[in-house]
Amino acid sequence: MPDNTSNGMQCHEFDLLLTDAMDGVLSGAGLDRFQAHAGSCKACGPLLAEAEAGRNWLKGLTEVEPPASLVNNILASTTGVDTLRLGAVARAPQPRISWLQQAQATVYGYLEPIWNTVRQPRFAMSFGMAFFALSVGLTVAGVKPADLRQISLRPSSIRHTYYNTQARVVRYLDNVRPVLEMQAAFHGLKRSAPAEPGPEKRKINKNDTTQQPEQKPERRYSQTENHLILANAPLDPSLVDPSNSDLPVVPVTTYRRFV
Amino acid sequence: MEDVQVVAMLVRRCIAGDAAAWEEIVQTYNRRIYNICYRFAGSADNAQDLTQEVFIKMYRTLSSYDHTKGAFVTWVTTITRNLLVDHFRKTKQDRVTDSMDTAASDHEDAQPLSEQIQDQKAPPDAHVRSREVAEVVHAALGKISPELREALILRDLQDMDYKEIAAVLRVPEGTVKSRINRGRAELARLLQRTYRQVM
Repeated sequence: MPDNTSNGMQCHEFDLLLTDAMDGVLSGAGLDRFQAHAGSCKACGPLLAEAEAGRNWLKGLTEVEPPASLVNNILASTTGVDTLRLGAVARAPQPRISWLQQAQATVYGYLEPIWNTVRQPRFAMSFGMAFFALSVGLTVAGVKPADLRQISLRPSSIRHTYYNTQARVVRYLDNVRPVLEMQAAFHGLKRSAPAEPGPEKRKINKNDTTQQPEQKPERRYSQTENHLILANAPLDPSLVDPSNSDLPVVPVTTYRRFV
Repeated sequence: MEDVQVVAMLVRRCIAGDAAAWEEIVQTYNRRIYNICYRFAGSADNAQDLTQEVFIKMYRTLSSYDHTKGAFVTWVTTITRNLLVDHFRKTKQDRVTDSMDTAASDHEDAQPLSEQIQDQKAPPDAHVRSREVAEVVHAALGKISPELREALILRDLQDMDYKEIAAVLRVPEGTVKSRINRGRAELARLLQRTYRQVM
């Protein structure tokens, strides 16, 4: 800003008084000098007009409303809780759950993954086949579901059933004993009798017309041409041990690799 | 204006761990801080983030507040202003502060402000018209230099007195007044040029 002096006031002084004049706190001789300077100075006159216009523009700006979630976000980022109301809700007593419901929830928690596996179609088909096989087996064995209804599970009945079953097994073995003794005697006689020469089993080579027993060719793989036999390799006389001239000595050289 | 003793008691309760006192402070000052941030940063998203950062900083440094040195609102506004200046330095907005007809900033659609106004159709009623004018003034406020902008926001939008503004900006009162005058004039020139082109 040029520092001109006009009507006894410099421009920097005008600049300092400008806000006071616009706020209405400037009065008296100071206001007169201020207005005189504004009217005569080419720099300060427009400045006054522009400052008033700018202030009027800014008056049109009203306060904006913060987002509704702002307070909650601030509280969450500072104290870690959303609001006191939420804190009160968290501290509110929870409805009581009976021990039976807790046990059911626990059991369901363990059984649910198993049940989800069982419900797969392949496992369901396997269980269906197993049930079918069991039912067929029981039917063949003469077990009827109606008979199961008459079974008594009292201890005395179970004991009675056990002794009956045991007596039946003993009677069965007593009845079978003479048959078993006869079988044993028959086998003893059979072993004591002289053995009859049986027919000579011989493999008959259909292509062999010489009627000579078949001779298996002996294959000595160590003497085939394609295999090298180190023991038969020509020996250097200097390598032969004089104490045992029958055994060849094979020199072995080991190469070590030093890294 | 705030009652110094009441606010001092509130701060002491906060420091002692009273969550209700802290919530009361947040409820009281969030609107003011959000508006300062919104007018300075220019966008609602930035304003929300910055407001949260201001309160986080307040929460951490609440014990450093001394009611004998100044009003609590001045302390809060100082924290807000310092954080806004840091944010401004990080985002490098200096290049878009001169003129309305310079190239647009990165968050606008690469048109000068005057061309954006020309594209707008006639408003159907006065309410829409005033809202659009407010948007234009808000955009123009974002074009002037941050030193002048912060002085204008604190004086004309937050109604702080010169002494408090001087304490927040840490400059003499004469400098505050000079910045306010230059800021108002700069804003008027920008808007005058804009509407002259529209007419």
